[in-house]
Amino acid sequence: MGIIQRLVTRHRRSAAHEPLHEPNLALHVEDLTVVYEGKPVLWDIDLNVPPGVMAAIIGPNGAGKSTLLKSVLGLVQPTAGHVCIHGHSPRIQKRRIGYVPQRSTVDWDFPTTVLDVVMMGRYGHLGWMRWPGSDERERALAALDKVQMAHLGDRQISQLSGGQQQRVFLARALVQEADVYFLDEPMAGVDATTERVVVNLLKELRDAGKTLIVVHHDLQTVRDYFDWLAIINVRVIAQGRVPDVYTGEHLRRAYGGRIALLESESFGTPRGVDAPRNDGA
Amino acid sequence: MPMLALLSDYTVQNVAIGAVLLGVVSGMLGSFAVLRQQSLLGDTLAHAALPGVCIGFLIAGTRDLGWIMAGALVTSVLAALFVLALTRRTRIKTDAALGTALGLTFAAGVVLLTWIQGQSNASQGGLDTFLFGQAAATLRSDLWIMGGVTLIAVALVLCCWKQFKLVTFDPEFAGASGLPVALLEGVLTAMIALAVVVGLQMVGVVLMTSMVIAPAVAARQWAKRLEGMVVLAMGVGIVAGLSGALISASARNLATGPLIVLAATAIVLLSILFAPGRGVLWEQIRRWHDRGTIGQRQMLSTLYKLAAHHRDPEYPAEAGMLDGLYGVRTQGILRRLEQRGLVEAVEHMPGEGHHWTLTPAGREEAERVLASVSPETP
Repeated sequence: MGIIQRLVTRHRRSAAHEPLHEPNLALHVEDLTVVYEGKPVLWDIDLNVPPGVMAAIIGPNGAGKSTLLKSVLGLVQPTAGHVCIHGHSPRIQKRRIGYVPQRSTVDWDFPTTVLDVVMMGRYGHLGWMRWPGSDERERALAALDKVQMAHLGDRQISQLSGGQQQRVFLARALVQEADVYFLDEPMAGVDATTERVVVNLLKELRDAGKTLIVVHHDLQTVRDYFDWLAIINVRVIAQGRVPDVYTGEHLRRAYGGRIALLESESFGTPRGVDAPRNDGA
Repeated sequence: MPMLALLSDYTVQNVAIGAVLLGVVSGMLGSFAVLRQQSLLGDTLAHAALPGVCIGFLIAGTRDLGWIMAGALVTSVLAALFVLALTRRTRIKTDAALGTALGLTFAAGVVLLTWIQGQSNASQGGLDTFLFGQAAATLRSDLWIMGGVTLIAVALVLCCWKQFKLVTFDPEFAGASGLPVALLEGVLTAMIALAVVVGLQMVGVVLMTSMVIAPAVAARQWAKRLEGMVVLAMGVGIVAGLSGALISASARNLATGPLIVLAATAIVLLSILFAPGRGVLWEQIRRWHDRGTIGQRQMLSTLYKLAAHHRDPEYPAEAGMLDGLYGVRTQGILRRLEQRGLVEAVEHMPGEGHHWTLTPAGREEAERVLASVSPETP
């Protein structure tokens, strides 16, 4: 009963009827708290991301990075707090949101092809009864071309490498044609080619005015890739432009003693492309 | 009885139509259940149908399939909700929750069944046939009800095809793109109960779970896309249903339901063995092939590296040395490479035994092999 009630009200509510809240921010999170089995996963999170930036969310394992993304997207019910995407509740902004989940969240042995998966990005734009057609197909092929996988459209997804899986997910998010993209560890455990493709594509999207919010695991690439940064560990440690936020003091507060391992590399000269990196995946 | 006479028999016709309906609905809905890793939920829901069968009988007062199916559907769905509540609200894991629900509902069902049979009511006869099914008792009117349920299930799947597909593959992404995931998952689970009630008459509650699982598992071995898998699973379900029904009709006194299940399981076994790409046999052949060619590829690169090291493209490698590297396999590998025209035997110096050298084609192949195993591939 509750579900149906919620469905009905969801359809009645439209963007025009709700007052704008912080419309100048791509993402506005206020007092967000998520408690799971009595333990706080996120505590009183206030987060603001302006439009047109490439933002990283970093923090140690178990800091609540993925939970933060999921509660922003409405996949996890927060205990308290609220979220706005471009001034509106995410519930009525679904078509302006693109999402790249972690690769491990799906069964890659599912009987489907690469092109099929990419076309799933259009389902949210299609009406309830409409089947995907040639228009969706063309958009999906164009997106595959952008991630350099146009030749693999007919391939079974069970035959993809990790990097290719990641690029398929990215292509699927591209066809969502969103304004704000959320990506959960898109560069964890992928090959160098994929990382290059992903980063270039994200920068291209940012230059086109889109906002990218990326849960990131690799401290050493933060300064090369991103222009906005939020460091969290259950609470928000710091947020803002990368040069202001990416400091030893903030990182130590988030990572504790573990940062000592990274310090010598992280705060020296900017890292070269081929430098070894820790695999936080 | 010859096949034609068999098919013109009224009872056999009923059974055959029932088997086709059962195949369609269980193959289609089972595909989603198997892909969502809910195969065992089918078992619990099937057993949970038994108390519903009894309650339906008590309400109707006779062995009326419509009421019985309605009762079964209600208790099946209640059991599904019970499992869901247990896993969501407590720390009990899914397998324990499924087991709890199965035991509870089936025990309640058997108690109700024996109680009804203890009453002096002539019409209660044969209620226990819902345990293992009794296809021969299928009436034309039963087929209309089964057909109606099948039609509803097919219509539902056609309407919500893309939503079901996305929720089955990636529920998180489905939620993020605005689909009502909880509702869709609830409908998919309730539809397993639909498949169960269609199978009550034919297969019975105890074995119904394998009609949900088996066609889908068999189809998964052959299909490359969800569309193909669902259609194929329906086909497997129909073939299993028909062959079980016809075997039991031609040799009386063999139970139809278990025969249908045996037929479906036989198709599963064949699929697991022989399906191209995923079958066990295929896998074994590929392993043999790999083992054969890996020796050849290693030999080519050994000869190539020797030639490169000695700065002589036609460097003759001594057979005895290659023996030392590859052991008893050496002769076989070299003979196969020779057949492919990639190596040739040469006499290096009189009295020094066999030597082997790469042909120009062999050098090209060796370069390809070395390029394919180098770490950085574009």
